[in-house]
Amino acid sequence: MQDNIELSRRQFIGVAGGVIGASALASIPLGAETIENPSDTQASDFTIENQHTDVLVIGGGMAGLFCAVKAHDAGAKVMLVSKGRVGSSGLTPFAKGIFCYDKATSEVSIDEFVAQVSESAIQTNNPVFTRQLALHSYDRVQELKQWGFFDSALCNTSFMRPINERNIPVSERIMITHLLKDKGRVVGASGFSLNEKKIIHFHSKSVVLCTGSGGFKPSGFPVCDLSHDGTIMAYKAGAKVTGKEWNDGHPGSAENSGSCYDNWRGQIEEKPGLTGVQVNHHLGVDSNYQAYTQGAPVTMGPGSAPNQAGTSNVTYPQGPYTPTAFRETDKPKPPPQESGILSMFRSKGHDGPPGMGGEQVGGSTAGMAIHKSEGLVPIDEAGLSTLPGLYAAGDALGSYMSGGIYTQIGSSLAGSAVQGAISGEAAAKASLALEIDAVSQASLEQIEHQILAPMLRKKGYSPAWVTQVLQGIMIPNFVLYVKKESLLSAAMAYISELRDHHVPMLMADDLHKLRLAHETENMIITAEMKLKASIMRKESRCSHYRLDYPDIDYENWQAWINIYQDQDGSMQFEKQAFDAWPNFA
Amino acid sequence: MPIEQISGCIACKACIESCPTDVIQLDKRTNKAVIAYPEDCQICHLCRLNCPVGAITISPDKTIPVMVSWR
Ligand SMILES: Cc1cc2nc3c(=O)[nH]c(=O)nc-3n(C[C@H](O)[C@H](O)[C@H](O)COP(=O)(O)OP(=O)(O)OC[C@H]3O[C@@H](n4cnc5c(N)ncnc54)[C@H](O)[C@@H]3O)c2cc1C
Repeated sequence: MQDNIELSRRQFIGVAGGVIGASALASIPLGAETIENPSDTQASDFTIENQHTDVLVIGGGMAGLFCAVKAHDAGAKVMLVSKGRVGSSGLTPFAKGIFCYDKATSEVSIDEFVAQVSESAIQTNNPVFTRQLALHSYDRVQELKQWGFFDSALCNTSFMRPINERNIPVSERIMITHLLKDKGRVVGASGFSLNEKKIIHFHSKSVVLCTGSGGFKPSGFPVCDLSHDGTIMAYKAGAKVTGKEWNDGHPGSAENSGSCYDNWRGQIEEKPGLTGVQVNHHLGVDSNYQAYTQGAPVTMGPGSAPNQAGTSNVTYPQGPYTPTAFRETDKPKPPPQESGILSMFRSKGHDGPPGMGGEQVGGSTAGMAIHKSEGLVPIDEAGLSTLPGLYAAGDALGSYMSGGIYTQIGSSLAGSAVQGAISGEAAAKASLALEIDAVSQASLEQIEHQILAPMLRKKGYSPAWVTQVLQGIMIPNFVLYVKKESLLSAAMAYISELRDHHVPMLMADDLHKLRLAHETENMIITAEMKLKASIMRKESRCSHYRLDYPDIDYENWQAWINIYQDQDGSMQFEKQAFDAWPNFA
Repeated sequence: MPIEQISGCIACKACIESCPTDVIQLDKRTNKAVIAYPEDCQICHLCRLNCPVGAITISPDKTIPVMVSWR
């Protein structure tokens, strides 16, 4: 049986090679050849700027907003810097349901809510963060109401209200690429402007990464501006990161699969609403498994029995496991909701939840894990990382608030608000009365050189082509979603080629492509993390599915996987028991 | 084409600032927004929704065929 379902290494090269060829040829003929850089940019064309603050908040989504506001209110001097516009970049502008636990009206206690999430998540959640979400969501929602968040489909204006009231300086369209370190502490970050030839060093007493998640620039899900930049710069600076084996399983529409707007049926034009407690187990890799075993077209739905007769005569394992209490087929349908996000999905023009109508295709979010499962490893409930001075919040923090599967609609947005606020306050308090030495000029110059390298190269590879190759290797269903050792290792062989040979030759002739070059490198490092963590986790649970290890392994795998760089720069992996917190690296 | 046309631009830069993937640039000569990198458009419509004069037209087609995990 095993022989039937395992493709040999040679066949894999054929399949993936075909895919790469097709997509690469569509835009760049003979893309594999190096091209010459038409730009004659010199390092001296760039100006260098230095900025100083107490708390540097990186990222302008829901987490960054609350982090900046609460750090300011706790008495720190704060700066907010973001690759895109505040409230108009990352995932935040697209989310419309926010979870609000109201203890006055909820029929479920916080203890019961946390227990239900843990049951659905098969213990992969960190109950400290699950509880924190429920405890604080109400207060964050009240603040958002005051700022006007619920009155508009676009959130830049409401987000800027509290920021302007506090005179918090904001720098937008700055891509941060490096963290500054001194004597083992993170003391700032560096990046470049997307508007003008300028490098900026931000010197601070602490840094909070609110940089969101990322993907492999997939189709149909608005995550193409994110490439796990925060996670990768933290990893390079010596922090531990986690969560790379989990997968968000949102499908896309076969029709216009490249359009986020159409995939989500115009949801972005709706005003946000509230969600209350309704714990479920959804958007793992069920539909990917169904497509793998039976072929397309696929009908989506948690609890749909994946192992039915298909065109293949191979017998497959049962597929991703849903805990009994959360199988929708076993339960009566919940009554229709007249308000909030669920009613919005049912309203005219939506015809059901977004992203899930008509014929479906896979890989809409490829490269992104379940929100809050991937990111920096926290050592406490404020999101302090394993590096002193460095915090993370929201989608950039591997808090496991929900675990390795989605457990509560609206909790992702609320979780970013809650964690942003808590980390901001903690970072501010830790910065008061702290004296920091200046970072050496030599380290700043080294960073400047690394930032500019793709623009100064005379020959090399275009980030667009390297990204297409990466997508061809990583996105197929049989690599990213329905996993087995042979294919994961084969994909890793390709990825190591990109890492060792192509990354050092990424080339850019303008600031946009400089951004793409750095993003491409981050995606390639992420791919290595995803493949190796997936090989290591020899079991199936939640959104991680191994065809060669289809069952949950309670004996060996009550653990998360932490990833870090050793002294030689190679990637290391360790298990961390579900009930333990790590120490500083 | 994803983002297809900007017609009647008043040079307020709202689309440039609100595009998460940096697709639109300011043409320094004409002081108008131009579609510089259509291949990186994720078709999210933030630019269109932020444009105060409705100058932006978007189609759901992607210029480059997209890679999906199954079809
Ligand atoms: C289509 C869609 C629908 C969703 N629906 C819901 C929903 O209904 N309910 C729900 O709870 N959740 C939903 N989510 C998930 C939710 O949007 C996210 O979990 C949440 O918004 C994450 O917020 P964040 O602040 O942590 O990160 P993000 O909002 O992703 O913000 C990240 C920020 O970091 C910045 N950044 C990234 N890299 C850099 C860098 N190198 N330098 C400088 N800045 C950088 C970005 O520009 C951005 O401003 C949805 C997501 C999508 C895409």
